[in-house]
This record gives sequence, structure tokens and C-alpha cells, in this order.
Amino acid sequence: MSEPATWSLAQARAALERRQLSAAELLASCRARIERWQPRLNAFVSTELRSPGAERGALAGIPLAHKDMFYRAGRVSNCGSQIRKGWIASQTAAVLERLDAAGAADIGTLNMAEFAYGPTGHNEHWGDCCNPWNPEHITGGSSSGSGAAVAARLVFGALGSDTGGSIRVPAAACGVTGLKTTWGRVSRHGAMPLSHSLDTIGPLARSAEDCALIFRAIAGHDARDPITAHAPVEADLGRRALKVAVSSDWIERNAHPEVATAVLAAARSFAAREVEAPEFDLLSAHCLTVMQAEASAQHAQWMRSRSQDYSSAVRVRLEAGYAIPAAQYLEALRLRTMWLERFMATTLADADLYLCPAVPVPIPTREETGPRGGAEMPRRLAEVTRLTRWVNYLGVPALVVPCGFDTRGLPIGLQLVARPFAEGALLAAGHAYQRETEWHRRAPAEFGDGARTG
Amino acid sequence: MKPLASETIEALAAAQGVPLAPGRAERLAPGVNALNVADPLRETLPFDVDPTSYLAARERAK
Repeated sequence: MSEPATWSLAQARAALERRQLSAAELLASCRARIERWQPRLNAFVSTELRSPGAERGALAGIPLAHKDMFYRAGRVSNCGSQIRKGWIASQTAAVLERLDAAGAADIGTLNMAEFAYGPTGHNEHWGDCCNPWNPEHITGGSSSGSGAAVAARLVFGALGSDTGGSIRVPAAACGVTGLKTTWGRVSRHGAMPLSHSLDTIGPLARSAEDCALIFRAIAGHDARDPITAHAPVEADLGRRALKVAVSSDWIERNAHPEVATAVLAAARSFAAREVEAPEFDLLSAHCLTVMQAEASAQHAQWMRSRSQDYSSAVRVRLEAGYAIPAAQYLEALRLRTMWLERFMATTLADADLYLCPAVPVPIPTREETGPRGGAEMPRRLAEVTRLTRWVNYLGVPALVVPCGFDTRGLPIGLQLVARPFAEGALLAAGHAYQRETEWHRRAPAEFGDGARTG
Repeated sequence: MKPLASETIEALAAAQGVPLAPGRAERLAPGVNALNVADPLRETLPFDVDPTSYLAARERAK
């Protein structure tokens, strides 16, 4: 029998229900792998068991761990930072309350970019998180530990946050499935804020089916986060006849050839129809305007009193926000309404989903994108997030699934984007794709069960 | 809109209690000014749209 920790969440859940193994055995399997692989990956910040799981519930007995920014009363949330090192939360995040109610076990906290403000997985305070496919390459960020821990089969799923791509970039780089939810779909109460107009929370897991199980548990209105909607939480994986749109010409002209080949092959499997590409770069600029203005306001007190305690990279990003005129920031938010309406009336006029790469270039190395990355470093960082920020600006949901590998053996991620609150359509399309393909079953050679490794 | 000069960026940050290291404003200027994009929808943006209008648009787009 393969190691239980290498099963999918759905398989583990079924095995528990059939009493093939106990929750304690499942937990022990995960903990043995964490002990073995943590020195190599640096995915965990803490492995303290804080919620043992329950016998009943949709996620009963399933070991999960989450980005170190979801507060649990009495537990340390470092938020990837020096400034909050050792800070103990006095309240529990709504998403953790909901996962507790669903019976999931919370077995630790995961590494992340400092204050979730970086797209690569570098962290000079807590150490870089390493990609299980190749430790020299980035995990993507900011949910770096979430991507690495799920890819290495250390846990069955993990929560991340996504303000400009922080779930989708790690999902793509680590070869796992990640769901960026609609802005206002999942409560952010008790989660560290970065940019309140853009912040979203969602799962990373090994398949769309596994993401759906976590999504159903965490989504829904919460009076403590007033932007959450009362929209029904639906994730019917059996839904069929979804129409998909793609901009093949844009992908061929702008994406790396290896990425374009993999993504366009996936587009053919969806029988995608052609549409004009959205204004990715323009919408991304508006996203950055909003993100930088709000993040700099959020951090203003610490920037005045403790700026030396930020890493250089994060301090520079925060400093930039103080130069954004208020009128420019508010105009970007006013234009958001019109751009969402434009997206619905053009890109999704005759389609349910829009398909594009998650990251249009091969996953770069940590050195290329880190402090020693040289003059090319800013351009490489911009490439990594070129196709994720526009989605946050529109506030719509997106799903990333693996769709191939580049010649260096690093994963390639496919991104599907939908209308607000259409997470169910995304998960159904992802599930249908994963029933026909094997990409999501591949594990890094040393981390798999020996049967389906990359 | 005109691009911000590095001296302006330095003054804006300092006025908000965040003094920049020497040379930092010059380094920040290209990125800050790149966000000030020409948006074709700006000319047709209705007067009555404010940031909260997005919530209604989100509901209509379900």
C-alpha cells in the first residue's frame, strides 16, 4: 500500500469513511513526511497540532495546514515577517472556524512571503521556501509553503490568500491545483490584510475535486466581513457543456513557446473558441495602483516606526505606495465597475470561462528573482504575475491546474477565469480536464508514491 | 497626467512620515509612473460611479 499521505484528499476521505485506516494513522503518515522533507523544503513554520479534527464533517480527520496569516486564538501568526514574529492572535479566522466545523485537522502553519507581499517565495526572515520539483526554482508566492507542502504530499490541502496571484502562482509553480475565489466569496475575518479591495482566500490541493471539498467548507456569507455575499455555494463537479474562450494569438505572441504549446493543447481539449484578449497590462496596472496604495496605508504605522524591520524588497514596494495620488487610486476603483462590465460583455459574452496561462514564462530560479537577480530581476518578476493581477482587479474567480511540464521538468499551469461567484463552473471544468489528463497526478520524483512521479 | 519627478516622490513620502534613503526616489519613479496609465474607459466614466458601485456590478454579473 502506498503512503496514505500521497493519496488525494478525496481518496483519504473515502478511506476514512470505509475505516480502511484511522485518522491517527493518516495524521502519522503526514507527520512522518513533514519530518523527512521539511529540512529540504522549509515549507512549515510550525508543526504544532492545534485542531485535532473530528469524526464527523465533510473533512473529518483530514490533515491540513495553512499559510501563517490565518489567526487562531492563542497561536502565533508570524505573517512571514520579523515585525510580527511571535505575535499571538486573540481571535480565530472565520475560515479556520469553518474548517474546524467540517472536522479537518489543523497540523501547522506554512511559510509565506513577508506580509504576503511578494510573488516568488523568497523570505529573508524565515528562509526561502523551496520548490519540490527543483529546490533551485521558486515556489511562487506569496502562498509559498501552501504550494510546496501540497506538492510534496505533506498535507492534503492548504489555504492561501490571493491579492495579485498569491494562490495561482504557487499552484502553477508547484504543479498543484489552486482556486482564487471571487472577491467577497470567502470571509477574511481573522486573516492578515494586505489590500482590502483585492484580498481573497482559497484552497490549494492536488485536484479540482479536492479544492471543491475545501471550498464548500469555507465559502459563504459572514457578517464579520461585510463584503461577503449571500450567493449560494455551489460546486457541482458533474456540470457539463461549459463554453470556454481563449486568445490563442495573444498566447502565441506573448507566452514562452513551451508554455504556449502546453496551454493551447489544453485549450483544444476544451474546444475553446477565440476571443480578443483582455487588456491584461492595463488592468494589471490598475491592480497595482490599488494594491500599493492600500498596502502602504495598512503598513503606515510600522513604516514610520520600524521600517528597518522589513526586508529591502518589501520596504521598497511599500515606499512606492506613498507616491500614488489619492485621486489615481480612487479612479482605479471607480473604473473597476466599468472593466468588470466590459469583461462580461466581451470576453465572456458567449462563454462561461476564459482560458490563459497562469504564468506565461517557465518558472524562474530563486537566484534570478531574488536579491542577486541583477538588472533583469524586476522584469522577471513582472513576467511571473503578468496574467494574474488582472483577475484580482476584476474581482472574479480563477482556477489553476497543471497542464504540462517544461524541458527542465518544472510544471506549467493553466488558468481558467469565470464570472463572479462561478467557482462551481471552474471546479467542474477543472475536474473534467483532470479526468482526461494525468498532469495533476504527477509528483516530484522523490515525493510521490513511486507510481505516478514526474 | 504628468509623471511624478523623483523630488515629488521623495516629498510625498516624507510628508507621510516615511523618509526615503538617498537615491531611492529615483529608483521608485519609473514603477510609480508606469501605473499612471492611459485608460480608454476614463473618458466615458459616468460621474455617478463611485468605488462602491462595484458591488452592484458584481451582483449583476453573477
